[in-house]
Amino acid sequence: MGEQAQLLPGTLDLLILKAVSLGPLHGYGALLRIEQISGKALLVEQGALYPALFRLVRQGLLKASWGTSENNRRAKFYELTAAGKRRLRQEAEDWKRLVAAMTSVLGAEPEEA
Amino acid sequence: MRFAAYLKSAGENLFGRSRADYELHEELAQHIRARAEVLRTSGLSDAEAERRARIEFGSTEKFKEECREERGGSWLETFWSDLRFGLRMLRKNPGFTVIAIFTIALGIGANTAVFSAMNTVLLRSLPLPHPEQLVHLILPNNQPAGAWNTGDGDTSFSEPVFEELRKQKEAFSDLMAYLPLSESKAAVRLDDEPEEAEVDMVSGNFFSGLGVRFARGQGFTMDDELRHTQVAVVSYSYWKARLAGNPGAVGRTIYVKSVPFTVIGVSGDGFFGLEPGFSTDIWIPLQNREDLNPWGNPPTINTLYGSPKWWCIKLIGRLQPGITKAQAMAKLDPVFQRAALIGLGTLDPKAPKPLLALRDAKGIEGADSVYDQPIKILMAMVGLVLAIACGNVAMLLVARNAARQREFSLRMTLGAGRRRILVQLLAESLLPVVSGGLLGWIFARVSSEALAAWSGMEVPFSLDENVLLFTLLISVACAVAFGVAPLRSAMRAPSGLGVKSANLGGNSERKGRWAGRLVIAGQMCLCLMLLVGAGLLVRSLRRYETLPLGLRPDGVLVFGTSPMSARTDQEKYVFYEKLLDRMRAVPGVESATVVENRPGSGWSNNNTFAIDGATPNGSFKEVGMRANDVGPDFFHVLGIPILLGREISDADCRQHLKVAVVNETLTKRFFPKGDPLGHMIGGEKPGEMSTIIGVAADSKYTRVGEEPIPMVYFNYSAGGSYSTVGSISDMHVELHTTGDPEALVPSVRAVLKELDPNVPMQKPMTQRAQFDESYSEARLFARLAMFFGIIAILLVATGLYGTLAYRVSKRTPEIGVRMAMGAQRVQVLRMVLRESLVITGIAVLVGLPLAFGGAQLMRSMLFGVVPGDCASFAGAVVGITLVVLVSSLIPARRAASVDPMVALRYE
Repeated sequence: MGEQAQLLPGTLDLLILKAVSLGPLHGYGALLRIEQISGKALLVEQGALYPALFRLVRQGLLKASWGTSENNRRAKFYELTAAGKRRLRQEAEDWKRLVAAMTSVLGAEPEEA
Repeated sequence: MRFAAYLKSAGENLFGRSRADYELHEELAQHIRARAEVLRTSGLSDAEAERRARIEFGSTEKFKEECREERGGSWLETFWSDLRFGLRMLRKNPGFTVIAIFTIALGIGANTAVFSAMNTVLLRSLPLPHPEQLVHLILPNNQPAGAWNTGDGDTSFSEPVFEELRKQKEAFSDLMAYLPLSESKAAVRLDDEPEEAEVDMVSGNFFSGLGVRFARGQGFTMDDELRHTQVAVVSYSYWKARLAGNPGAVGRTIYVKSVPFTVIGVSGDGFFGLEPGFSTDIWIPLQNREDLNPWGNPPTINTLYGSPKWWCIKLIGRLQPGITKAQAMAKLDPVFQRAALIGLGTLDPKAPKPLLALRDAKGIEGADSVYDQPIKILMAMVGLVLAIACGNVAMLLVARNAARQREFSLRMTLGAGRRRILVQLLAESLLPVVSGGLLGWIFARVSSEALAAWSGMEVPFSLDENVLLFTLLISVACAVAFGVAPLRSAMRAPSGLGVKSANLGGNSERKGRWAGRLVIAGQMCLCLMLLVGAGLLVRSLRRYETLPLGLRPDGVLVFGTSPMSARTDQEKYVFYEKLLDRMRAVPGVESATVVENRPGSGWSNNNTFAIDGATPNGSFKEVGMRANDVGPDFFHVLGIPILLGREISDADCRQHLKVAVVNETLTKRFFPKGDPLGHMIGGEKPGEMSTIIGVAADSKYTRVGEEPIPMVYFNYSAGGSYSTVGSISDMHVELHTTGDPEALVPSVRAVLKELDPNVPMQKPMTQRAQFDESYSEARLFARLAMFFGIIAILLVATGLYGTLAYRVSKRTPEIGVRMAMGAQRVQVLRMVLRESLVITGIAVLVGLPLAFGGAQLMRSMLFGVVPGDCASFAGAVVGITLVVLVSSLIPARRAASVDPMVALRYE
């Protein structure tokens, strides 16, 4: 395993929304997809995923339904709702703005007098 | 959308719980299986893959719990399960539950009952629309000099003042007048049996201006006032009690002082009239008949419409909407200042100027000045009781939860959040508090009725929404206090520790013990304050009870009369002479007399009489005198010793001789040389004077607590203290009996009825009971304070006993070791007792100055006892020490009887 970054607080929800936006997923699938699209750079504690999924369902951003997994097991699949799509767009933009701002702050050179 | 998602999630959670839990379990299991498959493909054995997958996932139970908390409605669900858990815990400890509930019920109930009294007397608005607009008109400076007063000097106005003020429409939308028909109750007859009732005569706008609702019929109109119509309104409670709630009551006739009135209405439930502390039974429009003169006044002196000098009308106004009291005063005062002079001419410039003021119609009119402080002090006392009760319950909870620390740390280790435990503690404390509060409410309902009866209030202490709110507030405060008190010890439980060992950290144990000692010391402090207060009040009551009255109150029966058939002095005299003759003939009556003001009833005639034609100069305090008009044999009947000369005889009365007896104090003050016999007293003109024929020993007149004041007893049949003809009032009859005075009431009633069927026996009672009534507040306060003191003692004793017993049981091994090492039983006994005595000593040292400060606030409630009364303080200290000794002795003896062998083996 290479360098793995700790998740910033509050970013897990955004990651899940993004992962699920690429297609309905069950919990383990979401974990794998986050690992995959982050190039294994982000580490998600396995159990902590589920409370977050439940929270997003309660907030109406995800909906859950039982289906059959790739190896023919019953599994609970999550997909984005319309509100979830809006939220993802919004948060992604916020995040980009924040990153841009942080980058420019951290990239500033000391002004030589 | 979002709300719908929440509802769906909450619905699944609350109603499909087992399925939801199963699915949650399934989902996590599926995750672990999927992970294990991935690990297997990387070459691990089945068992190893499974194990690794589980380790990587972490604690499934913890995450399950977190998931459940993320579901909608989870707080409701956890709260519900906590409540059920709390209920189970309480069922498992029935002793604890019962004690906690009863302690809380006692504390809350006592507080609610006393608060309901405070609410009724001081806070409650009249049960009328827009009560905030209603104001009583008062005279802070009393009536102007030269006015005739009624005894209610600061609330009575003259008829011209009323007429002028009611014309001022900018301040009041309505100004209502009301006057009692009699000083106490008036004779009323429904059918054959005469009885007494509280009757007020009122202005035509009385009901409409106040906005009184009617259960039946209607109120008066201005026309009724102007034409003095003979119609009446009866109160709801009178209608229920005396007319059996009969709807046909409207239209029937009530005889008030033998004048027929037609009932036209029944007032709505809950309206008791405006007379302070009493409920008015019947209202009639203002009357100008001389036999219906207000205040029971004989019409020969003053009448409502004929005497502008007579200040006799009580007023209540309804402010115009949006007008403040200050704005209203600006409009009213000039009118008042002008009208006040009508009938009085000019005012003495040196005398204080007449002042008008407005007072919110709240609580019971006039009662606030009398009861304000006592009720606040009672409130403080029950507050102390509640604090002590709370201390006990808190200690119980802390002790019980200390024993549960293992449980808490186990639960925290298994993933319970701190918030979850807090909620659980709150839920557990809520149950006893809610049931205790309910029980306390029932307790308060019963006791407030008793309290009202005890204090002689005719108006019930209503448990209205104010009181309900108060009870709810203190209950919630209790619940939070009990929930939070054990929280600290619960939170202190380090997770993991509880699983490893049952042993508790010695340090936290010591801290807990200190907190416990502090609570006990605090309780003792409060208890000491209560006991000192109770002691002072009880000693005041003892002073009242043992104070010599200067007369013989036992064996004397007294009752009031009002002979309606007799109008003139001569008719009245004949009536009373006949009455006395008949009474003296009743078997069991030793002697009989009549008197204008019943001793011990609070009523008196106050005046400054001229001696030998010259009125002494000075303030009332220096030269004021009181008078009573008495019949023959008065001093003999009441057992007041005659020191000099003789008393007023039958012959004096038959001949209407102007004779008087004075008391010792008057003799000492105005006849310093000695013999007052033969001197004249009364008015300044010859026809108004009476010859002093005797000197009587001082005796109590208005009440037990009074100081001796110069006193004149006039012959009632010769003008009395009014010194004019036509002045025989309604007299009270005094009978000295040989047996039980109360037993004579039926035969006396029969004789009276024979004499005149319209004359009821008014307030028959023994003279002893009448004097006892004059300090009924003192008795009430002393009894209540004693009751609170006893509750406090019981609470402190049970709290201390419980704590010590618990501690001794925990220290049994230690005591065993000590005894094995040679400690004597006495030493063990002393060890346990010493701790409680040290706590007591500290509590007493802190509590004494506090109690001393508190006692200063009670000064106005004390009689013949100083606030620093040594006996009360000593009694309280001894009392609390005894309680401590008794409640410590049992656990101490148990400690001393520990068998070292058994104790050590147990360890």
